[in-house]
Amino acid sequence: MASYLRCENVTIRFGGVVACDGVNLDIEEGKIIGLIGPNGAGKTTLFNALSRFQSYESGSIFYRGASIDRMKSHEIVKLGVARTFQNIRLFGEQTTLANILIGTHRLIGNPIANMLWLPWARDNERRLLRRATEIAEMLHIENELDTLVKNLPYGVQKRVELARALAADPEIILLDEPVAGCNDEEITDIREIVHRLNRELGLTIFLVEHNMSLVMSVCDYIYVINFGSNLAEGTPDEIRNNSAVIGAYLGEEYHR
Amino acid sequence: MFLLAALFPLLPGVEGWMVSQVSLIIIYIIAAQGVALLVGYTGLVTVGHGGFLAIGAYTSALLTKHLGVDLSLGLIASGIVAGLIGYALGFVFLHLSGAFMAIGTLGFSFFVGAIINNVPIFEGRTGISLPANHVFGMKIGDFGFYFVAIVSLALTTVLIYALVRSGVGRAFMALRDSEKAAESCGINRVFYRTLAFSISAAITGIAGALNGHITNYISSEVYADIWYSVDFLVACVVGGSAMLMGPFIGGAFIVMVPFFFEKLADLAFILKGVVLIAVLLLAPAGVADLLARPIRAWRRRQLAAAKAASSPQPMMTRPSTGGR
Repeated sequence: MASYLRCENVTIRFGGVVACDGVNLDIEEGKIIGLIGPNGAGKTTLFNALSRFQSYESGSIFYRGASIDRMKSHEIVKLGVARTFQNIRLFGEQTTLANILIGTHRLIGNPIANMLWLPWARDNERRLLRRATEIAEMLHIENELDTLVKNLPYGVQKRVELARALAADPEIILLDEPVAGCNDEEITDIREIVHRLNRELGLTIFLVEHNMSLVMSVCDYIYVINFGSNLAEGTPDEIRNNSAVIGAYLGEEYHR
Repeated sequence: MFLLAALFPLLPGVEGWMVSQVSLIIIYIIAAQGVALLVGYTGLVTVGHGGFLAIGAYTSALLTKHLGVDLSLGLIASGIVAGLIGYALGFVFLHLSGAFMAIGTLGFSFFVGAIINNVPIFEGRTGISLPANHVFGMKIGDFGFYFVAIVSLALTTVLIYALVRSGVGRAFMALRDSEKAAESCGINRVFYRTLAFSISAAITGIAGALNGHITNYISSEVYADIWYSVDFLVACVVGGSAMLMGPFIGGAFIVMVPFFFEKLADLAFILKGVVLIAVLLLAPAGVADLLARPIRAWRRRQLAAAKAASSPQPMMTRPSTGGR
């Protein structure tokens, strides 16, 4: 089993509060993995630990078998791990194109050569620009490339953020509540995009989400955490019928 | 444009003092470019670039006086020395931002002032008289110096133009707008922040070297003061710090205001303040932005027209609220 990103006994404390208490997680290559749980279960904290925005006290996180415990958040992007944020964090005063181009940062090569526009750096810049426009086309935001991001509607901003993460040419992409605050039409869009990224580009996807219809329809495998600990894991069908999960989170309506 | 500007001293009726005055403007523009790179593109407010100006001035002065170094080498050396010290300072101030950064850099300029006032080699208030300027072995006067200045300005302008359009410039602006988001894109905050500091300091350091050589005399009376730092920041804010033309407008403004009000120095101070406040109220992005607005609007119209011409369907077929 080729596991891409693996959490072993990750524990995170905020003062006296234990946000994550020995959580285990295994993200397999080429799969869409979901993480669900009630509010305050430690989902986003764990997510931030995976993208190294959050430090953890004990336990380890491995990427392709190598520990990333000592890495900084910008370093794991170079390994091929990209992320989005729950509350969109875009560069609002800049255009959509500029935002996506910033996402290509790990591909700029030597910064000094890039800064001085040396010939090979110039070719590379041209490639990056092409890459950015291609991604924009894939996510259907190519008409907004020159628009300042702060003037875009929420659903489009979500897609710009996704485009920026994709621009880094990642192997795995971590999505923190990709459809939070989206309307039904936007949710359908995101669902289709997530499917396509996984099938056409072979991306591994890990998502934290409260929208059960999205999680149940796109994920291959789901982890459930509650009060900072693993509660259950399994395929969507198994999760839907797991009495512990129904009791703690889903409620009876999801039980078939 | 720089070629045209280089022809300026050849115009009939132009005298040495006029050329020197324009050289002085150029020096201020270069210094302001350094500050603008940090303030406008990287989002770090600095009130300490007078310190880098002094470092540049003293580096070149000591080299030319004691070692008889050529002015061209003096300029390069001051850029390097200021750049290295800027790099170190970038590390020291790694966790400061906003007003704290302003106070920190202000402290740095006082620190530099204290050193040049008290360490014997800098000759304190007595000052250092520099030998006549030599470039590539040739002795140069006001006119020759003007060419040195304009070439320096052309180089710094090209450098900044290339820089802000490159991936490195994008990284600077990303850090300015959101450090968290920038890091999630793989931008190494420590590296790019110190790099910005370093390049900014180097550019202002070169301006410092020119500033010393234009009068052939430097002393701590001038360089230990914070007015340079404040002037450069004002030049950036008035001109517009996130635009290539900003430092040009701001630099000319700072030099020409006291020039026109020679007899009324106090009035010049007041005028600077009034203009600064007016700009902050009416055009917070600077005069350059104000001038660029009609051009930008025109370009947008052109773009829209081109788009409408290229696609036969009306623009509304795809609602911008998302969805397909």
